[in-house]
Amino acid sequence: MQYPIWDVTIGGGMLMAIVAITHVIVAHFAIGGGLVIAVSETLSVRRGDRDLRDLAKRSSLMLILVSTVFGAISGVGIWVVAGLISPGAISDLIHTYVWGWAIEWTFFVVEIVAALVYYTTWGKISKGAHLMVGWIYFVAAYLSLVVINGIITFMLTPGRWLETGQFWDGFFNPTYWPSLLLRTGLCAMMATAFMMFAVQRAAADARPRLIRYLGWWMVGGALVSYAGYRWWEASLPESVLALFRGDAPLLESLAATRSLTLWALAAALVLAAVLFVAVPRAGRTATAIVVAIAAFAFFGGYERLREGVRKPFLIHSHMFSNGLKVADIETVNAEGMVAHSGWVAARAGDGAIGIGEQIFRTQCASCHTLDGYQGIRSALPTVADMLAVADADTAAAAFAAECAACHRDDFTADDVGGMLPSVDDIRADPEMIRDLNHGMITATLARLRDLGDFYVDADRTTMIPTHEADIPYMPPFVGTDEDLEALASYLASLDAPPGAPGDRVAELGGER
Amino acid sequence: MTPDLVPAVDAAGLPGPVWLFQVLLVFTFFLHLLFVNITLGGSLLAWVAHLRSGGSASDPRGALAARLTAVNGYGISLTITTGVAPLLFIQTLYQQYFYSGTILVGGLWFGLLVLLLVGYYTAYLYKFRGAPAVGRGGGLWIGVSALSFLAIATIHVVVHLVHVQPAQWAAFEADPWVVLADPTFVPRLLHFVLAGLGFAAVIMVWWSVRAVERGADRQLEGAIARFGWTWALWTTVLQVVDGFVLLFVLPQPVLSGLMKGGAVTMVPLTLAILGAVGLLVMMARVSDPLAAKGTVTGTLGAMVLVIGVMTVTRHQIRVLYLAPTTDLGAFTVASQWLNIGLFVLLLVAALATVYLMVKRVLASPATGADAA
Repeated sequence: MQYPIWDVTIGGGMLMAIVAITHVIVAHFAIGGGLVIAVSETLSVRRGDRDLRDLAKRSSLMLILVSTVFGAISGVGIWVVAGLISPGAISDLIHTYVWGWAIEWTFFVVEIVAALVYYTTWGKISKGAHLMVGWIYFVAAYLSLVVINGIITFMLTPGRWLETGQFWDGFFNPTYWPSLLLRTGLCAMMATAFMMFAVQRAAADARPRLIRYLGWWMVGGALVSYAGYRWWEASLPESVLALFRGDAPLLESLAATRSLTLWALAAALVLAAVLFVAVPRAGRTATAIVVAIAAFAFFGGYERLREGVRKPFLIHSHMFSNGLKVADIETVNAEGMVAHSGWVAARAGDGAIGIGEQIFRTQCASCHTLDGYQGIRSALPTVADMLAVADADTAAAAFAAECAACHRDDFTADDVGGMLPSVDDIRADPEMIRDLNHGMITATLARLRDLGDFYVDADRTTMIPTHEADIPYMPPFVGTDEDLEALASYLASLDAPPGAPGDRVAELGGER
Repeated sequence: MTPDLVPAVDAAGLPGPVWLFQVLLVFTFFLHLLFVNITLGGSLLAWVAHLRSGGSASDPRGALAARLTAVNGYGISLTITTGVAPLLFIQTLYQQYFYSGTILVGGLWFGLLVLLLVGYYTAYLYKFRGAPAVGRGGGLWIGVSALSFLAIATIHVVVHLVHVQPAQWAAFEADPWVVLADPTFVPRLLHFVLAGLGFAAVIMVWWSVRAVERGADRQLEGAIARFGWTWALWTTVLQVVDGFVLLFVLPQPVLSGLMKGGAVTMVPLTLAILGAVGLLVMMARVSDPLAAKGTVTGTLGAMVLVIGVMTVTRHQIRVLYLAPTTDLGAFTVASQWLNIGLFVLLLVAALATVYLMVKRVLASPATGADAA
């Protein structure tokens, strides 16, 4: 929270999702491809199978072009984006796990050198030496997964690390082994998804056999992934499960993501079994694309779910998604944002709205944009929204649409209608919604600041039961009364002056 | 009162002693720089050679462009791979400066990824679709590739200058382009580019010398070697001049700190200057590189050493820039000695694996049905 802010139109989280999901798809292909290629070449040597050998060779070119180029660059991309959007979090992670990453780097060096040597020595060295290089590549690539898996899973389920602060307690955390199994299956799925395109260039008479061969890898990978997923879900604590499981999940969008994820896996499994294994002549480019899309949807869905269920944390029970540490809540509340961050203090000359804008960028912008992803401006009610809630005929539907997300537990539509001025009064003076908005924002921020007490009082040596919090998926607001008022003033100011673009009163249209 | 924009030292502490991270940062950055020089200088030199050849692979300069691009197929990968480690260690030691600096020029820093992708794939396009594969053409691909890597070098210089000058952060936030007005910007960028051109050129000369020993066409290799040697010589001349310019446009406190730092700063700086001048003397005495194998090998070795000591000086300059606001002693150090030992063990094992793998590959040539 003491760093400058990089403004991203689409939102930092969305940018990270794009970079990270494309990277993990390619990175898992790099690992799974290494296994399938090494196994294929081994079988080709033992059986004298020229077709398998050609498949391995063609796939190794794909491995070089997709994995060592795009995979390596997008891997660096994750570092770059993480440093830009969540510097505090990545700094905290690095200072805890730098030796884990350093160890992963040693495997990465071997992996890259082996990949380059493997591809360039086809037809130039003995079969035994070439096989050795292929297997070295796979082992190094898989070991890099073994390491990075510990750091990724630590962020969701830090386990005993919360109590001891010890490297290995966080590394071998409750979801480490389930996740490793799941990702091992995913490696095979991603390898098949990519290699199915390489097989299309095989001789026509060999193609069905090779497609069936790859189909078995996809089916096996999907089954292993499913087992890993179920185990992963069973290893999650109740507070995390409450976000996306059960009759009334706290975040409907995550529940929908889970549903999509499992249906995509089922589709990949069934389609691969039918199109690749049972009727391999159906394994053409078009069907390969369909199966690949299903496999990527499963993987992307799982990654989205894994990231989403960490809400409101980046490192569960330790650091929130905006970089605020649980341990710092009381300090920042006491000293205020101006004293805590030089970048907020630098805006002191711009008055309360300027300070409020910087506080928004510091505390809110990691999840909310102004007008794009999770846009904050569109959350401000218009006059039409107010009228709809105030009007008895439309109050119930308007409450459900506009208010229930925050107030379903503490108010009814009638309550809110009773608090608002009458329809006639609003029509007579629509400008009053500016004051109403300001008041609602201030009340919401006060509620978010009170949320901090829940985390301050929580037992931080174990995973905090976030589902018991007032708002389970948002970080608390931290700062003094002045900070709160500054942020409220800024958010209210997003409702532009009368007549200017963005004026919520003007959006009333014919009502004004 | 001017607000303090430098974030606090990470409370998580350092999982190892400061000196160890400094050694690892400098050493891994040195390894990274060797491949950076090949990638940056190699792609620029390949572009020049391609243009000078008229786009034909049959011209010796066209053959040189093809050779440099083939080397870059490995070079770019290894540049990225070796870049990961210093990126890791600089974030560990100087996170508050590095992250702030990159955020202040966030668009550029993110753009680096796009440029890397473009630079890498256009190099492959030149290799598979340009003169090296079809005999003619592909100048656009290699040109785009070279310019992409040049732009990446420029971004790195920008990030470096921004992150070491926290007193200027407010100005950089208001207008990031003011960094271009920094007096060290141009000489620092030139220092990068000239080093890359010189190093890549010497590598190619060394390659030609070895190729002739193995029976390659002496006329072709001689032409390539002379072209490379000329580039190596003149870029080193310019490098010496640029090095002195860079030294004397450093901010006064930094220059003063460097000069008054005693043996710690003066030994690497003196060695670098003497090494560069020595390189010039060695290179100027050779008119036919193929007939001076020892000097060529010595030049390459000396260049590696000069890059090594310059990496130390570069790090010391960063320390001097940041001295007014930095106290590395403020870190809480809780060394993870078990993990440090594991890292060292696995690094040795990794390097041994690479060595033994390459050794086995080189000892296992095969053709026809015996080959993989």
